[in-house]
Amino acid sequence: MVGKDCVAIACDLRLGMQALTVSNNFPKIFNYAPSTYLGLTGLATDVATVSDLLRYKVNMYRLREERNIAPQTLANLVSSTLYEKRFGPFFVSPVLGGINQTTGKPFICGFDSIGCIDFAKDFIVSGTASEQLFGTCEGLWEPDLSPEDLFETISQALLSAVDRDALSGWGAQVYIIEKDKVTQRLLKGRQD
Amino acid sequence: MTSFGRYTSAETVGYSFSQPTSAPNKEHSFYPYTDNGGSTLGISGSDFAILAGDTRSVAGYNINSRYVPKVFKIGGDDESGDGAHILLSVVGFAADGQALKERLDAVVKMYKYQHGKPMSVRACAQRLSTILYQKRFFPYYVHAILAGLDEEGKGALYSYDPVGSYEREQCRAAGSAASLIMPFLDNQVNFKNQYIPGSGEGHALEPKKAEPLPRETVEQLVRDAFTSAVERHIEVGDGLQMMVITKSGIEEIYSPLKKD
Amino acid sequence: MDVLLGITGKDFVIVAASKAAMRGPTVLKADDDKTRQLNKSTIMAFTGEAGDTVQFAEYIQANIQLYTMRNDTELGPAAVANFVRGELARSLRSRNPYTVNLLLGGMDPISNKPSLYWVDYLASLAQVPYAAHGYAQYYCLSTLDKHHHPDISLEQGLKILEMCTDELKRRLPIDFKGVLVKVVTKDGVEILDYDNDKIVKSA
Repeated sequence: MVGKDCVAIACDLRLGMQALTVSNNFPKIFNYAPSTYLGLTGLATDVATVSDLLRYKVNMYRLREERNIAPQTLANLVSSTLYEKRFGPFFVSPVLGGINQTTGKPFICGFDSIGCIDFAKDFIVSGTASEQLFGTCEGLWEPDLSPEDLFETISQALLSAVDRDALSGWGAQVYIIEKDKVTQRLLKGRQD
Repeated sequence: MTSFGRYTSAETVGYSFSQPTSAPNKEHSFYPYTDNGGSTLGISGSDFAILAGDTRSVAGYNINSRYVPKVFKIGGDDESGDGAHILLSVVGFAADGQALKERLDAVVKMYKYQHGKPMSVRACAQRLSTILYQKRFFPYYVHAILAGLDEEGKGALYSYDPVGSYEREQCRAAGSAASLIMPFLDNQVNFKNQYIPGSGEGHALEPKKAEPLPRETVEQLVRDAFTSAVERHIEVGDGLQMMVITKSGIEEIYSPLKKD
Repeated sequence: MDVLLGITGKDFVIVAASKAAMRGPTVLKADDDKTRQLNKSTIMAFTGEAGDTVQFAEYIQANIQLYTMRNDTELGPAAVANFVRGELARSLRSRNPYTVNLLLGGMDPISNKPSLYWVDYLASLAQVPYAAHGYAQYYCLSTLDKHHHPDISLEQGLKILEMCTDELKRRLPIDFKGVLVKVVTKDGVEILDYDNDKIVKSA
């Protein structure tokens, strides 16, 4: 979700096999640069595989270039990484959020499982509660929110959405990304 | 003898050039339902209830019409609906919705003629459940919402599944965009996940109590819910039909929605 | 109908695995060991396709030992878990993947913190305070949800384990021949004497 000079990205904490909850502390957001985060939903094994693979690629990028990866660059890296497996895809639908340190501008985008990028100005949703998230985000979000208001908006949107989805929930994690500050918050949410 | 797929030939000699002597029987089946899309939404207040629905009717990716109402007055004049004191919204299969509305309308009118008093919303709600359950094995393929004012003059809202299971609620969204609208309503009408600032530390925070909302607020929430649903759901759009029932009667408000 | 259970506590990890080796309805062996020790302070319990399980476990065991010899470093449980996951994930998209579900229990050799990892045949990895595989999940997780605390002692841990195995004896239709219980502490891995002959009356 985009705010005024800030970005927020949030995820729930459930890991389940169909109806059975295996873990209630399984974060789905990964950090790739000081102000660049990637959320991954989908098949748990591919969430781990893709996040590890990207960590390797981003580390190599940082060593080669001697600078942090920009959100836009990471977006293209994610896209090409996923498209490499066009005919045997990773079953994930990533969401990227960050601030470009050169321009200072917020950047978010989403992907399908084979790497098609969805650039959005407002918000990106993904996962089993995506329909619910579309509803809450479309209803609650407004342009140019301050970091505090953006935190409240994304939290309310996420919690209300996952409470209407049996496969999501069990707490949430929220990151508020500003140009030179990142705030991480844990939300308890309903435990059922 | 060789058999070629699903063609069963009466011929016993399997020449490669032999043609099946009779055309294979293809089974035709008639599916009695279609999904006409759209969404409805109802919210009750302290002295009113609102039922709203978009007016688009679809079949697959086709738009049949941009104005097919989903909210009806029950028990009023056939033409104008005057004198009605109950509202019904139906979403799903439009033909069943129409039929159901006609049935309920007739029932409510017969009740008035036979008993000399208007049917209470509570009685009507139970009757609607019975009507739906009577067709348990060939259901009216609709999600119905019934609205009116209860014996105390408070807003009453009842929601149904296609076979008559029902419940009185504060608010309910139904139809194709229900999954988009319902969590928004949980948050904005029942204040789910909202707490009173400064009422406690951490987990001791006191949840914000849900209270009946004023009419202006509810009307705005309905508009917001539908403009949001229109943005993200292709089956919702064209027009928003809102009916507000108060002790002074039923008010109908139509406002356009995006037609894309 | 294999049973795998794992419970962490203040300074230990219990890993229990059923002793029956089954093929269909037949019990082939009543004292099977479904665990392998990977290094001084990590053990792995496994169930799944017959053949795959031991093959995969011993492949992992050998490679962990090889790494330790080459680099003269003991791998911590997190490193082991991620290595195992990586190998299983690689196998998942190969021509014939290993169908094995795992539990990894270990003590960090430096911080002496216990940890337990749940891994399924799709190579989903999750660090958890307690875990189960197979039907045991449905019967035991609720018991563990209710009674587990992060700082329980070994005695308390074993008491919870007993509640779990009692429930399994009550509800599983096939005798799993009791469990083999291993515990990892800072001093390494040891097999515990566990009373499997206790008769549990059905509810």
